[in-house]
This record gives sequence, structure tokens and C-alpha cells, in this order.
Amino acid sequence: MFGRKGKKGNYAYTVARVKAKKSQLMGDDAYQKMLMMSLPEISRFISETGYSKEITSMTGKFTGINLIEHATYANMASVFTSILDSATGELKDTLAADLERWDIWNLKIILRGKSFGIDLDSIREDLVPAGVLDAEDLEKLMSLDVDDDIIANYGRMTGVSIPQSVVAEYKAQGNLAPIEDFLDKHHFERLLATIDSRSRPTRLYQEFIRKIIDTINLETILKLKLEGIHGEPVMKYIISGGKDIDKKLATQLANAETIAEAENDLAQLDMYEFIKDALGKDTHSLKDIVAGLRRYKMKEASTFSHLYPLSIIPIIDYMLHKENEVNNIRIVARGIDAGLDKEIIKGLLVI
Amino acid sequence: MVSQDITPTRSVLIELKNKIKTTKNGYKIMKMKRDGLIIEFFDIMEKAKAMRGSVTSDYETAMTKIAIASSVEGEIAVKSAAYALKTEPKVKVGSKSIMGMMVPKVEAEVIHADITNKGYGVISTSAYIEEASTAFEKLLDTIIRAAEIETTMKKLLDEIEKTKRRVNAMEFKVIPELEDAMKFVKFRLEEMDRENTIRLKFLKGKGEAAE
Repeated sequence: MFGRKGKKGNYAYTVARVKAKKSQLMGDDAYQKMLMMSLPEISRFISETGYSKEITSMTGKFTGINLIEHATYANMASVFTSILDSATGELKDTLAADLERWDIWNLKIILRGKSFGIDLDSIREDLVPAGVLDAEDLEKLMSLDVDDDIIANYGRMTGVSIPQSVVAEYKAQGNLAPIEDFLDKHHFERLLATIDSRSRPTRLYQEFIRKIIDTINLETILKLKLEGIHGEPVMKYIISGGKDIDKKLATQLANAETIAEAENDLAQLDMYEFIKDALGKDTHSLKDIVAGLRRYKMKEASTFSHLYPLSIIPIIDYMLHKENEVNNIRIVARGIDAGLDKEIIKGLLVI
Repeated sequence: MVSQDITPTRSVLIELKNKIKTTKNGYKIMKMKRDGLIIEFFDIMEKAKAMRGSVTSDYETAMTKIAIASSVEGEIAVKSAAYALKTEPKVKVGSKSIMGMMVPKVEAEVIHADITNKGYGVISTSAYIEEASTAFEKLLDTIIRAAEIETTMKKLLDEIEKTKRRVNAMEFKVIPELEDAMKFVKFRLEEMDRENTIRLKFLKGKGEAAE
């Protein structure tokens, strides 16, 4: 992995491509401009900055804010798919392992929609085929009527085998939470296992993924803490393989009854700088803490991408920034549509 | 009661006196009930005022949280999380008595489910969506409590109005009419007494003249 030719993958070509694309991403000033616009103006503005194809093709189907949300997702999906299609060798495998999170997202949309009795057209509209499974695969999953068949087919398509204990728990509880949590944990465990850590760039990528796991684990711990859940029950939801938050620290954080009690332990972490102001702000909301964690993730992606330019990290960095751009556009557009205060919208943006 | 319909006898007079006494007692009790209901109403009104404030503030918080969740996570993710929910709010409706008047007692049995029991995965469901969900659960709980207070207040108002009408009817119609009737019977009985006396005197005079 991370070589320049042959089975190792076409790193030079893909990195050059994403670097060119990254320069086209919106900057801070674009979001500031968008904050002053109305929804139709935002639609027109993003049409001029690379989303015109999707905006035009979806105009008949969606309007207003929904058009912006669906068009930006569709654009992101086509960008990710195009990167995945052009990648070769191990690079393709690693990218596919990373993009599996979108397959999980789509599976959740299908299962949840079906369990609620939503019609297929509405489910189809909400899918974001940015992962390994294309529209045809997702259509096959949608055509199945029973949850068990959908899960089994998904497993066959992606090579994920869901343990019987998880299936039994899902059947006993009657809800999809055990399956969803298993898939989320399994995604990161498989991603870490895919990375061969014998060379420096792979080690860097592994380290980056482990840092992402830290942010997810910390968000999970804090979410549960806010609900008054601490101690052993929290550990069930911890993804193994975190870099700074190992099992011992995760247990310590989980055992703290309040966020304030956990602050001493949090102070040791790299991400503390990004969340320290938010920690004492509002004890009933994680809004600012989560925004801080997302900023930390983007900063880490940028930092890592410069450490070894000819590796998967610049590609992942671009994909994260692209996803972030889509999120930021949506934050501004939906925030304006909902009449949120400009300062709140600015606080939610990850720039 | 029309005075002319009454037979002016002593037994009717006694009956009327008793009726007036009972009605006046009833009137006093009704007046006390009306005052009690008014005091109760003002108590409930204070609670209702506070509850309306809570509903407004909880509604604003919930709408802000859902707007934030839809902005950060997207409408698709929020909708999808809502589809995954398996817990249904349960409400118990009973009744309680305020001064003999039955008012509803609404209790929220199951409103809040923690994140581990909602039906969606804990790891991938963002804090924004979870906070919006919790804010709406809180709003629902407040609305249920407000529904109890608002219904009680409405029922109290109806009951106060009814009691007020009864008290007024007693004060300005039933009691005065009974008193008028009693006066009439008394007057007629006195009149009859006088007529009898005169008749007796007349007969006595006639008898003496014949002798």
C-alpha cells in the first residue's frame, strides 16, 4: 500500500486529481457571503460553484431548501464515486473501506423507512449512493420486504457478517439499534484492519483514523452522560482502537457522572483545545462541543494530509473537506430557512 | 311562584317558612361554593399562566433544536431518525374532584426514553438529533400537563358561571318570591282573621237586636 505504481494503487494520479478539486472548494468568505443571501440566491450561488448539474437535474423534483440538500448530497456522491472508480489497487480497497460508512447510512435509511412504512420512492429520494454500493445494489435491497433479508443481502454485498448475538438482540428488542451500532463499530474495526501499518504513510493514516475514533467515542460518552448514563453501560458503545482515548481513559470518562467531572481527563487530550470553551458553557447541550470536535477532525485531516502528500491521506482529507462543504452549505441554507440567528449558524459552521 | 296560586292556609305558611329557611341555607352554601371556586380558579389561573409560559419556551427551544439538527445533520438524517423511533408516548387519563366537581387528571406515563432505548443506534446518531428529540419529549410532557390545567380551568369557569347563576337566581328570584308568597299568605290569614272577627261581631249584633 501507498506505493506509486501497480497493485499498490495510482496514488500520484488520484492525489493530483483531488488536489485540483480541493482548490475549488468553498472558502470561509463564501460562507460569509451565503449568510447574507436568501435561499434562491444560495441555490444560484452554489450552481455557479460546481453544483449546477445536480441543481438543474433536480429542479423538477425538489424545491427550496430540499433542492439544496438533495443536490449537494448528489454532487458529493458523484464526486466520491468518481474518485473510487478512478482509484486502483490497494488505494481503491482502502477508499472503499472508508466509504463503507455511506453504505451503512443507506442501509439505515432503507431499514428505518421500511419499518415505518414509507413508500419506496420516498426512501429512494433520501439515499446518498456515495459508498461502494451503487444505485442498482441499493435498489435490490429496497425491493426486499423483510428486514432479515435486507440485512443478509447487505452482508453478502459488503462482506459484513453480522453475529447471531447481534441479530438475536435486534429481534428481542424489536428495534434496529443493535444492528446499527454493530455496523458502526464494525466499520471502524474493519477500516483499521484494512490498513497495513508497516510504512510511515499507512501508520499516519491509521493514526488519523484512530483520532477520528476518539472524537466519535468522546461524543458517544458525552451524549450518554447528558442522559444520565455513565459507567459500564457506556463501554458497550465504545469503538475500540482509539488513539488518545484508550480503554482505560474511556472507562474513566464513562465513570464520571457529569461532564465537569470528566474535564480533568479531557484536558489531557489533543482535542481539548477545541472543546474547552464549550465545556463550561451549557451543561444541557453538546452543540458547541460537537462543533468543536468536528473542527478538530478537519484540522487533523489537513495536518495529516501535509505530512505525507503522496498517500491516501490527502484523498481522505479532500473527501472530508468536500463532505464538510456540503454540510456547511446545508447549515447556512437550513439555518436561514428556519430563521436561526446568524451567530448560531456561524457557531455551527466548521470552517 | 304567583301569589294568587297559593292557598292561604296556616299549613302553607309553615311550609313556606321552612322552604325559605332551607333556601337561605342553600343560598349560603352556594355562595360559599362560588367563592371557593373563584379562589381555586385564581390558583389554577396562576398555574396556567406559568404553564403557558413553559409551553411557549419549550416550544421555542424544541423548534430551535430541530432547526439546528436539520441544519447540521440534514433533513434526511432527522427524518430517518424519526422513522427509527419505536417508543410511543403513553398518557393516563383519570379524574379528581375539586369541591364536588370532577376535573380531568392527565398523567404522562412514558414520554422520555433514553438514547439507548429509542430505536436508533447510539454511536451514529448525532448529539444534535438526540437533543432535538429530548426537547420535543419535554415539550410533549409540558403540553400534557398544560392540557390538564387548561381543561380544569375551563371546567372551573363553567362551574363558577353555573354556581353564580344559581346564587343570583336564589338571591333575586327564589327567595324574594317565597318571601312575597309568605307575606301574601300572612296578609290573607290576617285578613281572614279580621273578616271572621267582623262577621262574629256582626252576628253578635244581629242576635242582640233580635232579642
